[in-house]
Amino acid sequence: MEKAKISGYQLFVLIFLFEMGSALLVPLAGEAKQAAWLVILIAMIGGFLLFFIYYGLFQYYPDQLLTEFVKQILGNFLGRIVAFLYILYFIYLAARVLRDFGDTLLTFAYPHVPLFFANAVFILVVVYTVRKGIEVLARTGELFFVLENLLLMTFMLLIVASGMIHLNNLKPIFEISGTELMKMGFTKSVFFPFGEVIVFLMIFPYLNEPQRLKKIGIGSLATSGIFLAIIMAVNIAVLGVDLTTRSQYPLLTLIQSIEVAGILERLDVYFLFLLMIGGFIKISVFTYVAVTGTANVFNVKQPSRLAYPVGIVILLISIIMASSYTEHIHEGLGAVPRYIHLPFQVIIPLLLLIIAFFKNRKKGRQASK
Amino acid sequence: MNRKRLVPLLMMLIATLFTTGCWDKTELNEMAIVSAVGLDRNKEGKLVGTFQIINPGNVAGALQGGGGTNPPISIYRATGDNVLELDSLASTKISRDMYFAHANLVVIGEELAKEEGLNDIFDAFERSPEFRATTRIVIARGVKARDIVETLTAIDKVSAEKVIKTIETTEKTQGKNISINLQEVIKNLLSTGKEPIISGFTVKGNTGKEDSMENTMSSDIEANPNAVGIGVFKDGKLIDWLDGDKAIGSMWVLDRIESTNLNLDWEGKKDAITYQVIRQKTNVGAKLVNGKPKISIKVRAEGDIREVNVPLNLTDTHVLIDLEKKLAKDVKKEMEVAIVRAQKNKSDIFGFGELMHESHPKEWKKLEKNWDDDTFPKLEVDVQVETFIRRTGLRNKPFLSNLKKKDQ
Amino acid sequence: MASFFKQKRQVKQREKKKEDTGQSKSKTPDYIDSSISANLEKVKKKTGNSPDIIIRTLKIGQNPEIKTTILYVQGLIDNPSVTDFLIESIMKNPHLSEKILPQEALDVISEEVVSLGGVETVKDWEKLFLSLLSGDSIIFVDGINIALVASTKGGERRSIQEPSTHLTVRGSREGFTESNATNIAMLRRIINSPNLWIESMKIGTVTKTDVSIMYINGIVKEGIVEEVKKRLNRINIDSILESGYIEQLIEDQVMTPFPTLNHTERPDMVAGNLLEGRVAIFVNGTPFVLVAPAIFVQFFQSVEDYYNRFDIASATRFLRIIVFIISIVGPALYVAATTFHQEMIPTKLLVIVAAQRETVPLPAVVEALLMEMTFEILREASLRMPKAVGSTMSIVGALVIGQAAVQAGIVSPAMVIIVSITAIASFATPSYSIAISARIVRFGFIICAGTLGFYGMILAFIVLIVHLCSLRSLGVPYMTPLAPLNPEGLGDTFFRRPMWAFKERPKFLANENNLIREGDNQRPLPPESRGMKTSDEKKGEGNES
Repeated sequence: MEKAKISGYQLFVLIFLFEMGSALLVPLAGEAKQAAWLVILIAMIGGFLLFFIYYGLFQYYPDQLLTEFVKQILGNFLGRIVAFLYILYFIYLAARVLRDFGDTLLTFAYPHVPLFFANAVFILVVVYTVRKGIEVLARTGELFFVLENLLLMTFMLLIVASGMIHLNNLKPIFEISGTELMKMGFTKSVFFPFGEVIVFLMIFPYLNEPQRLKKIGIGSLATSGIFLAIIMAVNIAVLGVDLTTRSQYPLLTLIQSIEVAGILERLDVYFLFLLMIGGFIKISVFTYVAVTGTANVFNVKQPSRLAYPVGIVILLISIIMASSYTEHIHEGLGAVPRYIHLPFQVIIPLLLLIIAFFKNRKKGRQASK
Repeated sequence: MNRKRLVPLLMMLIATLFTTGCWDKTELNEMAIVSAVGLDRNKEGKLVGTFQIINPGNVAGALQGGGGTNPPISIYRATGDNVLELDSLASTKISRDMYFAHANLVVIGEELAKEEGLNDIFDAFERSPEFRATTRIVIARGVKARDIVETLTAIDKVSAEKVIKTIETTEKTQGKNISINLQEVIKNLLSTGKEPIISGFTVKGNTGKEDSMENTMSSDIEANPNAVGIGVFKDGKLIDWLDGDKAIGSMWVLDRIESTNLNLDWEGKKDAITYQVIRQKTNVGAKLVNGKPKISIKVRAEGDIREVNVPLNLTDTHVLIDLEKKLAKDVKKEMEVAIVRAQKNKSDIFGFGELMHESHPKEWKKLEKNWDDDTFPKLEVDVQVETFIRRTGLRNKPFLSNLKKKDQ
Repeated sequence: MASFFKQKRQVKQREKKKEDTGQSKSKTPDYIDSSISANLEKVKKKTGNSPDIIIRTLKIGQNPEIKTTILYVQGLIDNPSVTDFLIESIMKNPHLSEKILPQEALDVISEEVVSLGGVETVKDWEKLFLSLLSGDSIIFVDGINIALVASTKGGERRSIQEPSTHLTVRGSREGFTESNATNIAMLRRIINSPNLWIESMKIGTVTKTDVSIMYINGIVKEGIVEEVKKRLNRINIDSILESGYIEQLIEDQVMTPFPTLNHTERPDMVAGNLLEGRVAIFVNGTPFVLVAPAIFVQFFQSVEDYYNRFDIASATRFLRIIVFIISIVGPALYVAATTFHQEMIPTKLLVIVAAQRETVPLPAVVEALLMEMTFEILREASLRMPKAVGSTMSIVGALVIGQAAVQAGIVSPAMVIIVSITAIASFATPSYSIAISARIVRFGFIICAGTLGFYGMILAFIVLIVHLCSLRSLGVPYMTPLAPLNPEGLGDTFFRRPMWAFKERPKFLANENNLIREGDNQRPLPPESRGMKTSDEKKGEGNES
């Protein structure tokens, strides 16, 4: 564990940017059509439930990282294996986001740049940041939080100014039945992006005011969920359901259709900026967690030495994980939630929580006797 | 420790920056800025693309000295089967990369629109990251698309800009045209409850000389592109043109009127009074009456009296109320004519179907199938218009009324 | 492995040095001899018989006459005090013309004769030379191995003038001088409080430069003064010629283009900083006083912001931030937009720029780098040049770059506009040191923009932000109060809250037990009768009627 402390506000900001990261760009819950925003809100509530599981674990081991308390719960050998699996999971997620990011960049602005190069430069910046430690990352997050909100605000203003919002596009809300919406909300959309908040189990112990964690966590999940829902609603209100779900990046399409005063057109850079701020924080958090986790499992004294190797691994995985963007997205919507997200975000933490509960009760009893 | 790490990091960064070359870099003097694209169909059924390319030196003019005598645009043509083929074929004739991000205008030939329809054309435009979603679409009416793209114009040197501005101003001041962009057209093509409409454009005058500089040399330009009517589509194909009152009527229904003039007959004198709409709002509602869809349209317009060529006492409120009623009747008539025409065409250009979908999603599922061919043509539409005269200009009575007094 | 060895070597060297210094300390000091001639011989030998060391021998007392010598360095002393209060008093004092013993003579001289502020005795040579060479006068009395040191520091110095940097329209016209004593006195005049504490030390094994730390006891945060002292004591260097030496030897991070310590020529600025809880470091021989800890936003503040009303000050600060951003990204933005993202530029503008670039043979990046270089050359040349050639320079610069290059078609007029705007922008930043940083960073941005367009620029931007966030100045994060966020501190960043709302000192700088700056209800309360009134008003109270 690094010798560092972050404030509650910093954690809030990190979770917020982390959630907004890549979720801002893709048509989140697109299959719910006009009710996509509603599904996001439902998923957000699912996210709260998951957060309570993680919070429960944190309360048992408030000053230990995920990789540390797993060993306490499952014993040294099994614990190490699970911790290692989690590190792989984080590395894989980092690679996924990096790939998302690189592909987006190549699709809309730099068709001739090799994916490897685009990703490599980005991961270099991430590694540079990770080596500076969690405090610097948190502080950077604070500045980017302001920036991202400014960008989103001006961008909303531009959309309103260009008069493109047709609220009728959001009607009818309940074309899809309520139960179906619930089903959508509690499956895929929970895992991405809300369930990914599990990585913060590796960051919670740095919080300098652990008693406020519950408020902070729920607060930032709620804020980001509401933001995502609003943006998705605006997407649909402007573009209509068809175009939104047909777009690879609805937000980009939205930004491209802004036309204000004949001067403000083609604000693709806005999109690039949003994309990179979110992507940067998200990949950095994953990478940082992977680095500290590895250092923790393998008892490396200087975690910063691991930043380059981990960065390179992430880069390579991001390149070889899929041959095309379609394949990448297909994996992301099909196999990943079922076989990767579900066990790592729900099943294992739940088991851990149950075991921890019994172990600690036993301990409690022994202590009382 | 930190410093030792930083040095290789910086070196790597710099090395990558310099060794990589510049993949997506295009200098401004290596690119041909396309300002407009014209698409036609030739006799063999192939696509003919006309690309209007800006000669920056001649547009910017005075600075480089050469402007004025050389044409501000150059035209390149290519024939092929799909849009991308046109692009690559045209590129063989140009020394530079064609750059489409500033192609603000796509002109589609009437023949192409009628026979082949729009469905096959737009994918390339939409998919390309370079092309703008806000590109305006226009149909060449009575002429080939290339004629419009080729024409040289005077005030706005690049004719693409001239076309766009013309549509926008006529929409704003007359309501006879509609400025519609790529994204909106595609949205309407896709929707089952709405059909697209696109403005028509033509070149009147001396066809044949419009592409030479002589055309712009005279103060009374012979060949001048001008807006004419609105093209109505059905299933992606052009089926009808709306002109004059019908065009305005449609715009009323679509709530796209910003300002327009209404001419009123008075005591047998034709078009004696001109009323200018300043502000208007159209509300369209969809209802189900006994299982049958019904549309009700409410219009509320405000405006001024601008011209009175009959002796009329405008200070009298009763006269104004009479006028308002008459105006409302006129507008209602215009709209009804437009709606009847649309129903005859079996093309729901007003988006009544979408409205049904929004308000009655369950019933819509049943209606959706036969909407265009069956339900829409028989749709009952109720139009209500209210007009208000807010001001009457700088004079209360026309001087005609005083002239008459003198005569007596 | 290589690094491992290197470290070990360094450690060894360090140990050696420690031994060296230990030896010098344990060495017995060299004491003054009782014989005057031996002493004078020693002085002459030590100073290489330098002619500016004046030796004036007098005789005092009667039967036997005692030889007394006054030593001083010409130019360093204040002439009237030496002649009037030292030599004249010794010669004319009645006590000294009587019979007197050498031991008594010294006491008499120090207690009754010398009418100067500071007189003390020294025994060892090291101290003696230190005093002598800093402008004091030394009095030897024959037969006694103790010397008297009379404080006669003075001599020709630059008088107090208007500072040449940090100019303001409103505010004090005084600037620091090269003398520490004067500078400290100027601060004393502004802050009239016994809590203004000063600590002095001499740094530089050869130059023995006076360095003073100043802070306000009770306002400064605990630990900061100790930290400064610790860092200053670590310095082991032959010379300190300017405060820049100190700055570079005590900063937190070396590899950064950004200044992590602030410096100023203005006493009012130092006073303001002290009152916020900072520490000032005065270095003799330079008018630039270091102020620490420094935070990023501080470099965009001018003292005048506090003298003007808050709305105006806030607007100017906002402007400065924009200016700073322009001066960093200006040319890069142009390069990225014209070579990668032409779709962003409105068509008409693009056509104009394209027309200008039509004949330019260079890629936009090269053009930008070239023009920026030219500008930097011009700037540097006009800084170092004798003032007389200045106007020639500007004519050549304007003609060559502004006209000839454009007419020849080597650069485009648009580029010239961009470079000029950036140049002006970089001079509009109030702090010169951060303007220089912006210039260096700018080149990095141009290269990134030239290789990867906006992607490259945003990457560079992220690195810049991360780097800024990783900096610290004396332990205070550089980006405070923005990150870590300090809501109260935000009132004095890009905008300035009204004077009546400056309730507290910044928490991240000042002592947390003593934060209150002003009383409650400081908002001015003009008589109520001027506004709209509904209640019954008393006649004649503040009413014009």
